[in-house]
Amino acid sequence: MRKLVVLCLVAAAGVVAIRAQVSAAPFTWLAPGSAAVLPQEMTFDNALGRLGVLNAEGPVETKGNPFFEPLGSNGRACVTCHQPANAMSLSVDTVRERWRATNGKDPLFAAIDGSDNPALPQDRESSHSLLLNRGLIRVGLPWPPSQNPDPEFTIEIVRDPTGVNRDPVWGLKSAKPAVSVFRRPRPATNLKYVLAPDNGPFNVKLGVLLDKDPATGKPVSMNMMADARAGTLAIQAESAYHDHQEGKGHLSQEQLNRIITFESQVYAAQMWDNSAKDLVESGGPGALGPQNLQRETAGVLNSPAKPVFLSFDRWKTDTAFRQSVARGNDIFLNRTFWVRDVAHINSIGLGNPAKRSCAVCHNAVMSGMDRAPGWVDLGTSNFPTWTEPKTENEPGQLPVFKLTCRAAAKPHPFLGRVIYSSDPGRALITGKCADIGAITMGQFRGLAARAPYFSNGSAKNLMELVDYYDRRFDMRLTTQEKEDLVNFLGVL
Amino acid sequence: MKRLVGLFLAAILSGAQAKAENLSFVTCPIVRDTKTVPCWLAEYNGETYYLGNQGGVAQDFYPPQLNHRVLVEGAIAGGPRVCGGVPLRPVKTSVLLEIDRACDTILPAEDGIGAPQSPPNRSANSWVRSDGPGNSTLYFDFDNDFLSLHTTNAIQSLVQQFQQSKASAIEVSAYRGSSKLSNGTVMVEQEGIAAARASKVHDILVGLGVPQALVKVQVVTGVREPDGIDDPWSRKIELSVKH
Repeated sequence: MRKLVVLCLVAAAGVVAIRAQVSAAPFTWLAPGSAAVLPQEMTFDNALGRLGVLNAEGPVETKGNPFFEPLGSNGRACVTCHQPANAMSLSVDTVRERWRATNGKDPLFAAIDGSDNPALPQDRESSHSLLLNRGLIRVGLPWPPSQNPDPEFTIEIVRDPTGVNRDPVWGLKSAKPAVSVFRRPRPATNLKYVLAPDNGPFNVKLGVLLDKDPATGKPVSMNMMADARAGTLAIQAESAYHDHQEGKGHLSQEQLNRIITFESQVYAAQMWDNSAKDLVESGGPGALGPQNLQRETAGVLNSPAKPVFLSFDRWKTDTAFRQSVARGNDIFLNRTFWVRDVAHINSIGLGNPAKRSCAVCHNAVMSGMDRAPGWVDLGTSNFPTWTEPKTENEPGQLPVFKLTCRAAAKPHPFLGRVIYSSDPGRALITGKCADIGAITMGQFRGLAARAPYFSNGSAKNLMELVDYYDRRFDMRLTTQEKEDLVNFLGVL
Repeated sequence: MKRLVGLFLAAILSGAQAKAENLSFVTCPIVRDTKTVPCWLAEYNGETYYLGNQGGVAQDFYPPQLNHRVLVEGAIAGGPRVCGGVPLRPVKTSVLLEIDRACDTILPAEDGIGAPQSPPNRSANSWVRSDGPGNSTLYFDFDNDFLSLHTTNAIQSLVQQFQQSKASAIEVSAYRGSSKLSNGTVMVEQEGIAAARASKVHDILVGLGVPQALVKVQVVTGVREPDGIDDPWSRKIELSVKH
C-alpha cells in the first residue's frame, strides 16, 4: 500500500511538472507513467546553458507509450534512466535531486541495480552511494560469460566495497554466479549515429564478422552498449525490461516497436551556451543543435572534407569564447600526441605508439564515436592508468578484480597476463583477455546535460575528462588548450 | 597459367631478392618521431634498419608495438638510408605476443632525419596473394591468427566468387609456420595456431553465407623447414573455390 501511494505521488509530481513545461517552463524530471504530450522541440536548462531535444516525428504522447510506462515490477520505465533533460541519460545532479525529493523512494533507487548491493538496507543513502555520487547503475553479468563458457581468464575479487560480488545471493559464488560492475546509463538519443554499422560485414579492427541483427541478418554497429552485448534496440529493450525493470515474460512486439520508434526519432544536443549564446543561429556551426543531428547523414567517417563536427571556421573571428570553441575543435581534429597502450587501437595494425589526434579514434561524423566497433581499453578501468586509487589495495568505491589469463590464451596486448580491473568491460561478454577493460566509446552530444563522464562516472566535469586524457597520454596540454577543449565539448 | 603467376610472384618475393641479403631477427622495435609521421626502426648487430612509416590499416605495413619484441623478416635493400636506417624491402614484421617492458624507445625528431613522404615501394602482398580466379593465400604474423583488412577483403571477394559461380565447395588449408633467424635460431609457431586460423576463416565463410557443409577444412600438421628467406610465406591459409 505504501509503495502504491509513493508511486502515485511520484506520478502526480510528474504530471504537474509536465503541465508547467507545456505552458512554458521545461520540466526536469519525467516520472514513469506520467500523462503528457512532449512537444516536438523541448529545451532544458543546465549549468552551461540549454539542451535542445527534438522529437523529429512530432509531439509524443507519453501515456501508454511503453518507453514512458512502468512495464516491469519495480515502477521503473525506460525514461527513469533516460531523461530528456539529461540528453536521454541521467546526470548525477538529477539523481541527487530525486533522492532529496522522494527521500530515496523513487523507483530509480530500486534495490536490484539502483543500489550498491541489493542485500544492503535500501533506506540508507550509503547503500546507493555509487548512484548518488557517480551516477552508476549496477550491471550484473553472468559468469562464465554467456558467449564463452570457457573464458581465457580466471577472475578473483580483490576488493568489494559494496559487498555485492561476495554476496551469497548476488555474487560470484552464488547459485547464479555473476560479476557486478557499475556503469553510467548511455544516452538513448541520436541513435541513428550510434547504430550505423561500419561499411561491410567486418569488424575491421579485429578481422572478424560484426554481430548480426537476428531479425534482419544484417550487420550491426556493436556501438550501443558499453560492452556491446546487445546489438539492436529490440534486444537492449528486452534485456533492460528484465534487468532494470524486473519484468517477467517478454515485451510484446508492439511494445518493442513503440519503444524503438520513439528512441529512433529523438535527437538531443546543446543549443544555447551561456557564453557562446545561440548555438543554432543561422550560419552557425553546422553540427550544433538537435536539428542538425536529425538532418545529417549517419555512418560518415571523419575526413578533411567533412570533419567530425564539421566546421567552426566562422567562429575563429567571433567572440573570445567562440574563438576558444573553434580552437578546441582544431585541437580535437589536429593536435597529435602519442596514443599509447590502448588495446584495440594500438593493437590493430596502427602501431604502438601511434602519433594521432583525438579524431582518429573519435572518427564518426556528428557523434564523435568510432565508426568501427568502438570498445577500447582507454585505461579508465584497468590498473595502473585507471581512474581509481593508485594501488589496487587502497580503499575505493568500485570493485577490483584480478584477472589471470590462461597460458594458452593470447594475453592482453599491453597489460599481459595478470590484470587488475574495476570493470573488465567487453571481456565479461567474450571471455577474451584482449578485451579486458575495453569499453565502447560513447557519443559526445549533450555532454553539458549529463555529467559525470566515462563509463565509470569518474570525471565529475569536462575538465576532469580532459585532464584524464592529458595525464594518460602525456599530451602536455596548456591551460588554454584544456579550456578550449572543455568549451568545445560543452557546446556539443 | 596459374602456376606461371605463382612462379612470378615467388620471383618477386624471394628470387628477385636472391642477391640481396636476407635478414631475420627478433628485437625491440624503435619508433622515431619526425616532422611528419613517425617511422619505425629496428637494430640488429650494431646496425639500424628502417621498417616503415606509421600508416593506416589499409596499408601493407602494420607497424610494430612498443612493449613487445618484434620478429623482423626482410631483405636489405640498396639505396640511401631512410629515416636513419638501412631500408629492408620487402619486410614482414610480427609483434610477439608476450609483454616486454624493455621495448620502450621513442626517439625524438631530429633535423635531417625524416620519414619518406610516401614509404618506399615494397611488396603489396605481405598479407594476401591471389593465385588466380577462386584461389587466394592469406598470410599471418608469427603466432597470430589476426586477419588484416586485406585478408578479410580477400575472403569476402572469394565468397562472392563462390556464390556467383555456384561452386561446390571452398577448400581451406591452414598451415603453421616457422622462421630461421639470421643467428641460426629456429622459431616454430605454437601448435594450435593453424587450427585457430582455420577456425576463424571457417566461421567467416559460414557467416558470409557459405553453407557449412561446403567449407572443407584441412589443418596441415607438419611444419615447413625454415630457410630464412621465404619463412613469412609459411604462415598461411590457402583458399580455393572448387567447382
